[in-house]
Amino acid sequence: MLEIRNLHVTVEDREILKGIDLTIRPGEVHAIMGPNGSGKSTLANVIAGREGYTVTQGEIRFDGKNLLELEPDVRACEGLFLAFQYPVEIPGVANLYFLKAAVNAVRKYRGEPPVDAMDFWDLVHERMELVKMDESMLKRSVNEGFSGGEKKRNEVFQMAVLQPRFAVLDETDSGLDIDALKVVADGVNALRSPERGFLVITHYQRLLDYIVPDHVHVLVNGRIARSGGKDLALELEEQGYALYNEEPGRARRAAV
Amino acid sequence: MTAVAPVFQNPYRLAFAEFAANRRELAAVARLRREAFARFETLGWPTRQQEAWRFTDLSALQALTLQGPTDAPVEAGALPTLETPAHRLVFVNGRFAPGLSRLREMPERVLIASLGQTLLTQSRRVELYLDQLPGLAQHPFVALNTAFWEDGAFIHLPRGIAVETPIHVVCHATGGDSAVHPRLLLVLEDGARATVVVEYRGQGRYLNAPVAELALGAGATLRYHQIQEEAPRAFHLGGIRVRQGRDSQAQLHLLSAGGQLARTDLEALLDGEGASCTLNGLTLARDSQVGDYHVRIEHAQPRGTSQQWFRSVLDDKARSVFDGMIHVRPHAQKTDARQTSRNLLLSRQALANSNPRLEILADDVKCGHGSSTGFLDPDAEFYLRSRGIGAAQARAMLVHAFANDSLNQIRLTPLRERLARLLATRLALDITEGE
Ligand SMILES: Nc1ncnc2c1ncn2[C@@H]1O[C@H](COP(=O)(O)OP(=O)(O)O)[C@@H](O)[C@H]1O
Ligand SMILES: [Mg+2]
Repeated sequence: MLEIRNLHVTVEDREILKGIDLTIRPGEVHAIMGPNGSGKSTLANVIAGREGYTVTQGEIRFDGKNLLELEPDVRACEGLFLAFQYPVEIPGVANLYFLKAAVNAVRKYRGEPPVDAMDFWDLVHERMELVKMDESMLKRSVNEGFSGGEKKRNEVFQMAVLQPRFAVLDETDSGLDIDALKVVADGVNALRSPERGFLVITHYQRLLDYIVPDHVHVLVNGRIARSGGKDLALELEEQGYALYNEEPGRARRAAV
Repeated sequence: MTAVAPVFQNPYRLAFAEFAANRRELAAVARLRREAFARFETLGWPTRQQEAWRFTDLSALQALTLQGPTDAPVEAGALPTLETPAHRLVFVNGRFAPGLSRLREMPERVLIASLGQTLLTQSRRVELYLDQLPGLAQHPFVALNTAFWEDGAFIHLPRGIAVETPIHVVCHATGGDSAVHPRLLLVLEDGARATVVVEYRGQGRYLNAPVAELALGAGATLRYHQIQEEAPRAFHLGGIRVRQGRDSQAQLHLLSAGGQLARTDLEALLDGEGASCTLNGLTLARDSQVGDYHVRIEHAQPRGTSQQWFRSVLDDKARSVFDGMIHVRPHAQKTDARQTSRNLLLSRQALANSNPRLEILADDVKCGHGSSTGFLDPDAEFYLRSRGIGAAQARAMLVHAFANDSLNQIRLTPLRERLARLLATRLALDITEGE
């Protein structure tokens, strides 16, 4: 469903991604691990369509469509979702209003009428329980004054409400305690289905105890240095990324 | 042909002579007019060389040949309502329109009436309060208003009286290059309380130069709303004077959305201990509109608090000006005065001028001001779009959030909701499902 071919990306004339190849089929969960600065968020942002990144070579196809040609909101309407590493605070826009606007935008794109108020309320409540989110967060402005954990939970909550076909989670586990981590994992696992694909970016192996991936890739310095099964994550946990890095000194720091 | 001698070099002089000759009124009021007109002549038409008018370009207004106001019919349906029971006073081209007005039952000794009619029936009462507040002495259009006003609202609440029903004053102008000068006189005696909504609007091209005088006795409470939705080609040059007694509270909400050039000069004198004054200003401007506020808060007594929140949303080549002075006199210890101006630019050609000023002559005070001007946050826009929301709607949601902070301070619910709809319409945004 998502095919990345020879993707090269520069930021401010610096090459960050240096030829990524990745194919994710429906129903699969892929994990990307790698040291800080290796380009994980860059990959996630390019998939979602953020400005400021220049694709110099290669392509991304989503169900055969050229993803890079689509506006970010069209990508979302096509069923793509990014859980941000750093969710943005938007003062003055209530969470619930925002979600409803998003749900209706997607429905409009599909030629469906706006969501029925009762149906929406039911869906929101059900998903809120899934991520153990407090109802008061619905009335609050999007992410404003949320703790780090609340922000991540809100990302998973949005994902659970929007039910995308393909989701990228960018370090959604960072900074979470074990209970919050389980909540995030439950959110993903509840959505896992033969039609959905996931790309889970993480710095730590522990998330993958709860979201068991089909494939693990190690991203180092803008390249996939190695791919393997779920055991690769455990191996990395023990050995760090030093083996894969061209700049060992930097990798050692990053792996601490 | 012989050259025509310019007998009246100043067209205003002829107009005033004619105007004054036709009025039969209290000598004291006639004298006020003459003095005000003399002041206007001394001050002259403002130029951009004057500091206070540096950012206000009056050349388009100056190019007009302004006429005196005329009577014109206005359909009741064309005027806004508060969508809640209200005392309603309507003025068309600065003249009272009794057929469009409606006064409800009110407590004894409360006056809510036409100022012009009150001048006929209770002239002493008008004499006692008209043009008695200090401030804006150097403002030529305030002087013009004092010279030329024909009518306006007179609201006078005796000691301890609260009028819960909002008082709705609508000033409508019908264009034809006329100059209109509505006057609003509001007196809240000690402990009195009122909610007032003043709307300025119209059609065609005209100059509206209103003046409002708001006097609050000790412990009085005023919620005042000025909704400026003048016609797109109109000019609005208004003045507001406020004087507050001990522990009085004034909340002024100022919305500026219409006119090609709209400027309000406001001067508030906190003249009693513990007086509190809050100004909440919102300017929405597009095309080449100019929205301009000049504010002076004068802390004359100890323990006063003042807060100014001014925001503007500027699209196309629109411009906003905010010039805000906080002046703390030596005696006014424990003053707490805040001022912020925030401007959101929606286009590269829009421009916001912010000029916050402090003059603090007391040593034990808390004063602060801040000002910021910027474009929409691209990260926030991307976040919304990454959830499927289109670019235009994402931007509208962010603008709405910015402006709504201001509208949310309005306690008068039907008015707040109407203004929220106005904002949404301007942004082509459907907010009805959002609340
Ligand atoms: N918007 C940006 N502007 C400048 N540099 C960036 C930007 N995004 C990423 N980079 C740089 O690209 C490299 C990879 O960053 P990132 O993709 O965030 O790595 P990771 O998510 O793996 O920690 C880093 O050196 C970072 O400084
Ligand atoms: Mg990252």
